[in-house]
Parts: sequence; structure tokens; C-alpha cells
Amino acid sequence: MLDFGGLGAWLSNPENWAGRYGLWNLVAEHLCLTFLAIVIAAIVAVPIGVAIGHFGRGEFLVVGLGSFSRAIPTMGLLFALVLVMGIQFRELSVVLALSAIAFPPLLAGAYSGVTTIPAWIRDSATAQGMTTGQLVRHVELPLASASIIGGFRIAYIQVVSTVVLAPLVGLGGVGFGIIQGLALRNFPQVTASSLVIIVITVTGDRVIGLFQRLAGARLSPPTPLEKS
Amino acid sequence: MEWFIANWTFVAGLAATHLSVSVGPIVVGAFLAVVSARITPPRWVNPTRGVLGAIYAIPSLALFVTLPVLIGTDFTGPTNVVIALTIYVIASMYFSAHDSFTQVPRPTVTNAESMGMNSWQVFVHVELPMAVPGLIAGLRVAAASTISIASIGAVVGVRNLGYLFIDGFQRKIPEEIITGILAICVIALTLDVGLWLVGRLMTRWRFVRVDHA
Repeated sequence: MLDFGGLGAWLSNPENWAGRYGLWNLVAEHLCLTFLAIVIAAIVAVPIGVAIGHFGRGEFLVVGLGSFSRAIPTMGLLFALVLVMGIQFRELSVVLALSAIAFPPLLAGAYSGVTTIPAWIRDSATAQGMTTGQLVRHVELPLASASIIGGFRIAYIQVVSTVVLAPLVGLGGVGFGIIQGLALRNFPQVTASSLVIIVITVTGDRVIGLFQRLAGARLSPPTPLEKS
Repeated sequence: MEWFIANWTFVAGLAATHLSVSVGPIVVGAFLAVVSARITPPRWVNPTRGVLGAIYAIPSLALFVTLPVLIGTDFTGPTNVVIALTIYVIASMYFSAHDSFTQVPRPTVTNAESMGMNSWQVFVHVELPMAVPGLIAGLRVAAASTISIASIGAVVGVRNLGYLFIDGFQRKIPEEIITGILAICVIALTLDVGLWLVGRLMTRWRFVRVDHA
């Protein structure tokens, strides 16, 4: 059962927070991997998603990728890419695998944000003489922002969860404490690490959710939060 | 492909374990999600959504190893995985289940009531059938992600298809990992098509063509 004494002792021991495999460093590594992967995926996915929504072509790509990606186990994708790309490029292959995981939700968020804008809004923008570039920059992107941020939210949850498995392919991240703790039967370490992971994930989800609500409230009546 | 042919009995055994730890949570979780979505009082809906949304965001490995601390089970073994997967199914299906029930048209329910149905009859004969398309859509999403998440159970000692990832990585056999990915995809997509078919068969009236005069 819940061993508060052991957990408290582990968490209050400064040795467990400092050094290469200390919690601070592992948390920083965890967040770095997550942000790097999401940024790389977003640079590719968001423009493509906005373009598909704007021109109304290639929807099958978004829908197909969305339903197919749910069936693909992220763990297998991570392991396969690291093994195929080689152990010496471990960091690069892990980030690429994580970007691949972040890609479908980002694409879907950008696409659905643009495609759900009512036709009359676009028509009135065009009727006022806006060029395509102006239409995208001043009308479609602001109106789609809540949905685009929603895509980031789902991508964050998926990527941050998958980074937990990174120690299995030889990288760090807070999952290290779970894997090492399970192997050494050091259960306070396992519990403390998973608590830190839960805090990181849930806080991130709430913070992005806040931005999503702000973006939505600024421009349109409130809509229910999107959930994968 | 050669690796799969040489080891197919091994893979089949892992697939059987994989199904045995994921089908139960899908069925039980779907039932609990539908029941709780229907009986939540309106003012509790948003708080429930918030809590379930937070639970859904918890990474599966973290949940697998937190459960033993909370309920006193062993750290390794299938029990935590089964419980955690059930929680995920409830958390992911609650949203769509609740929406499916609120989207049943009010006039339809009022008609049924004025024909003398009691609330249980209205639920079984009107609300539930009308909600089936939405429920099935939510269940398909939950089922596909459950099959895929179950593989992470291999890290805590459940020998399912996820074991192929760990073993294949340690022994440097890419074919083994790819076999695992494809096997999980095939199971998830089969389940998806099966549920789609069940949904269609349960709501035959939606596909009857009526030629109005």
C-alpha cells in the first residue's frame, strides 16, 4: 500500500535530485525531447493542415492518417526507428520518432480549424478584396487558432507519454526512474518518478488547455474542448 | 516476413495474451462509461469531464506503476494493466457517450413518454438505440487505442505483443519489432471494422431507403 515514509524519504534526499540521473536533469531532458519533437512536427504539419483546409483537397490524408495512427503502437514506432537508424544517432532517431507521433494530431487540429470556418466568413473577406495570403493570415489562422492549439494539446500528451519509454532505448527522461526502480525493486523511486511524470503531463495539458480556451474565447462563442 | 513465418506460433501466443488483457477492459470500460455518462447529473458533467480528462492524460506506464501503490497490487503482472486500461476506456468513452445521449432529440423522448413508456422503457427502446451510432464511434476510438496502449504492459512484465518490441530491440532484430507493430495494427483494424459492422447491424433502420410519395 501507499508507503508515504519511503516516498517522502526518497523525495527529500537531495542525492536523488542532483547529477546526471537526478530528477532535475531528467525532467529537463524529458521536456527538451518533448518540445523539440513537437516543434519539428509542427513546422511541417501545421502549414500542410492549413493548406489542406484552405484548398479543400486531400482531406482523405488527414482522416486516414488520423484513424490509422491510433492503431499504431507508439512504443513500437519508437523502438523500430531507433534500431533501424542506428544506436549512434540515438537522440536524432528518438526525436524523429516522437515527431512522427506528434504529426497526425497537429495536422488534424490545423485542418479542422480551417475547414470548419463558415463559408460566408471567407466569402466576405474575399469580397472585401483580401488576397489569399491576407485571407489565410488575417482570417483563417486567427479563427483556427483554438483548434490548432487543441492539436498541440493532444500532441503534447502523446509525446510526453512516449518519452517515458525513452530509457528503454538508452536515453534519459523521468521514465528512467520507473525502469531503473522496477529493475532494482526500488519502489519509492518508481512511485516518485511516476508522480513527477503525472504532474508534468497534467500540468502541461491544463496550461495548453488554458491557452486554447483563451484563443477560442477571444474570437468566437465558447466551444467544447476537443479530445482525441 | 521470414521472421514471422519462423516464429508464428510464438507471435500467436503473444497475440492471445494481448487480446486477453485488452478485450476485458474494452467491454467493462465501455459498459461503465455508458452507465456513468447516462446517470451523471447535469451539474456534475463538467467536473467529471475535467477529472477524466486529467486521468486520460496520464502516461500509461506511470499509471501502471502508480496503481500498485494505491490499491496494493503487485508492481508487475497483468492486474494493474487490466485496471489501468479499463480506466482509460472509461475516460476516453465518457465524453462521446455523454454527447450521444444529449444529442437524442427531445421530441422523440417526449413522444415515447406520451405513448405511456416509463423511463426505463424510454431508455432501452428509444435513447439507447438512438445513441448507438455515437456510442459505437466512441468505442471504436477507445478500442483501437486500448489495443495499442496494451503493448506498454510488456514493460511491467505482461508477455503480450509489446514483448516483441523489447526483445527485438535487445536482440537487434528489426523484423521482430515490425512484426509486433503490424500484428497490433491488424488486431486494432479488425476490431475497428467489426465494431463498425456491429453498429450498422444494430441500427438497420438508418439504412432503409424510404421513397416518399
